Amino acid sequence: MRKITMAASLAVMMTVMAARANAEEFIVGAQLPLTGTLARVGAGMQEGVMVAADVFNKGNGKHKIKIVTIDDESAPAKAVAAVEKLASEGAIAITGGYGSNNISPASDAANKLALPYITSGGVDDNLVNSGRKNFFRINNTAGYEKAVLGTLADMGAKSVSIIFSTKEATSDLANSVQKALAAKGVKATAHSFDPAITDFKPIVNKIRLQDKSEVILMVGYENDYVGILRAARVLKPPVKALIGVWSLATPKMAAEFPDLMPNVYGTALLPFPATFDTADGKAFAAAYKALYKKEPDYLGQFGYVQSMLLFEAIARAADKGTVKKGGVAEELRKTDRETLIGRVQFGANGDNLNFVHRMAQHQGKNIVIVWPASNATGKMVYPGKPW
Amino acid sequence: MTDLILQALYSGLLQGGSYALIALGLALVFGTMRVINLAHGELVLLAAYIAYTVESGLGLNPAWAIPIAVIVVSLTSAGVYGIVSRIRKDREINSLILTFGIGVIMTNLILLIWKADVRSTSSSWLQEAFVVGPLYSMRGEAVFFIVSLLLMAGLWWWLSRSWYGRALRAVSSNREAAKLMGIPPARTELVSFIVAGMLAGFAGVALYSYGVIQPAYGGALTVKAFIITVLAGVGSIPGVLLGAVLLGVAEALTVTLASSALQELAGMMLFLLVLFVMPNGLMGASRRRG
Repeated sequence: MRKITMAASLAVMMTVMAARANAEEFIVGAQLPLTGTLARVGAGMQEGVMVAADVFNKGNGKHKIKIVTIDDESAPAKAVAAVEKLASEGAIAITGGYGSNNISPASDAANKLALPYITSGGVDDNLVNSGRKNFFRINNTAGYEKAVLGTLADMGAKSVSIIFSTKEATSDLANSVQKALAAKGVKATAHSFDPAITDFKPIVNKIRLQDKSEVILMVGYENDYVGILRAARVLKPPVKALIGVWSLATPKMAAEFPDLMPNVYGTALLPFPATFDTADGKAFAAAYKALYKKEPDYLGQFGYVQSMLLFEAIARAADKGTVKKGGVAEELRKTDRETLIGRVQFGANGDNLNFVHRMAQHQGKNIVIVWPASNATGKMVYPGKPW
Repeated sequence: MTDLILQALYSGLLQGGSYALIALGLALVFGTMRVINLAHGELVLLAAYIAYTVESGLGLNPAWAIPIAVIVVSLTSAGVYGIVSRIRKDREINSLILTFGIGVIMTNLILLIWKADVRSTSSSWLQEAFVVGPLYSMRGEAVFFIVSLLLMAGLWWWLSRSWYGRALRAVSSNREAAKLMGIPPARTELVSFIVAGMLAGFAGVALYSYGVIQPAYGGALTVKAFIITVLAGVGSIPGVLLGAVLLGVAEALTVTLASSALQELAGMMLFLLVLFVMPNGLMGASRRRG
């Protein structure tokens, strides 16, 4: 009996030691713009990355993830340098990146170093069509376009004025939407603007006096939206709705610009106040609030999803002993998982096959999901404008 | 079409006033010391963030931030002078590098203190429409356009009538000769930096009152101010107003008659055209006479 007890104890000890020997800490690089023009979105994504590491490390039990972050200062050359430095510090994969012009060279550098690179910060389709083998992204222009077109179709809009920044991602989306609307017989007039401009009154005045459209679609960033909405508030064009895309239907915008946001639409995955009904969502929200003492936003959500998918792929590859043999990218390719942003599966080019965004509207102090009907948390107020 | 063009001219005029207010401080320092303060945009931005703090923290209209912004920014500007004045060789070139570095440090300090979020006034009063016949603007724009004109008139008066103003012009004209006339060049230059800081204080509060601010915005403000300063003709205060208004109107007309994507290009074309035809800038000749 004594021998059996000793043998059992030895077996348990060996099992524990073997498990410890297999449990590894993996370094994942986060290349993010924490300063420069993209600092805000970079900081938002980093919050999601850190929350994912926190949730993964608490819940996985076996493998641990250590995040090493390098600020790429919103500059392509610095983004490349960041990836190379992260690789030299032992990173086995990269999560992050914001802005297609930064992600493109950075992911090229990662590709040369055979590091998987996953992002939600670049919607330029060249990113997935240029033959990068280890590149993955969870969102794309097509998903934004579906949300915008779906909402406009529900509104029954016959004419749309599109105001868009000449940056690559915004131009791509605006041109794509304009073509799709024209194909449906909707009159779509486009007004491009240089990202440096601050006075949008001359553009809005053209919409007021010439276009006389039913809807204004804004494809830009937060500072552009504020400028356009301000100009619209002054000139009061005869529109029925104002729609934007990213960074607009957010609690932050509602809190910072309460007078400009009422009835404005924007893409959003979550209503506000945020509600999570899945275990994954609840874990994300709890960890986010614990770490950052605020409500989670879409940037954090995207950063969380992309990072969690990567960490899970690392864990699976580690279990198979293939981390250093291209196993992480292999596991990412096999991903088929329901996430906070919907089902994620990567196609041969690394793009998420299933991405469809949702459209929300600022209603009072809340943000209500109004499209698609299957995810709606309320009805759209239409016609509805901020003034 | 007439309505469109009239509105473009009006918007351009107001935008020009805003540009002029931003450029005044840079033009003053450039005119007197031949130093291009590449941290000037960050000084304007600092004032804008002070206005944001006063509004969000104390719930006051941003205009109440003017005294604090003017004091803080002029002291910061004096600090910049303190560093620049230590340059012993090739001041024109070395000051460029030095002030660029100061600008980078200031941008990052602003980022650390106020974070990267987009900020703008929430004052309804400043944002409401100010309508003159068929012309529309924000009330804040109209108010600060008038402030801009008053400040320019005050600066012009100060430079032409006060002892320190004339001393500044003397140092600008010939530093050594001014010294022989009993004018202390270092103190005079410090005064020009302090006055430039005060003007940047006003400009920042104005910018926050009708525009949008972000920590990385300082560089763009400096570039715009520099273009106007060169366009104006070195040291010319009326030239700053003329250059700024021309730039604002050219940009607004480009948006109205062509595309807003071409607005920055139109501004640069105007800049190159003026310099090609008038190498000393719009008011360069009058400066030489002065």
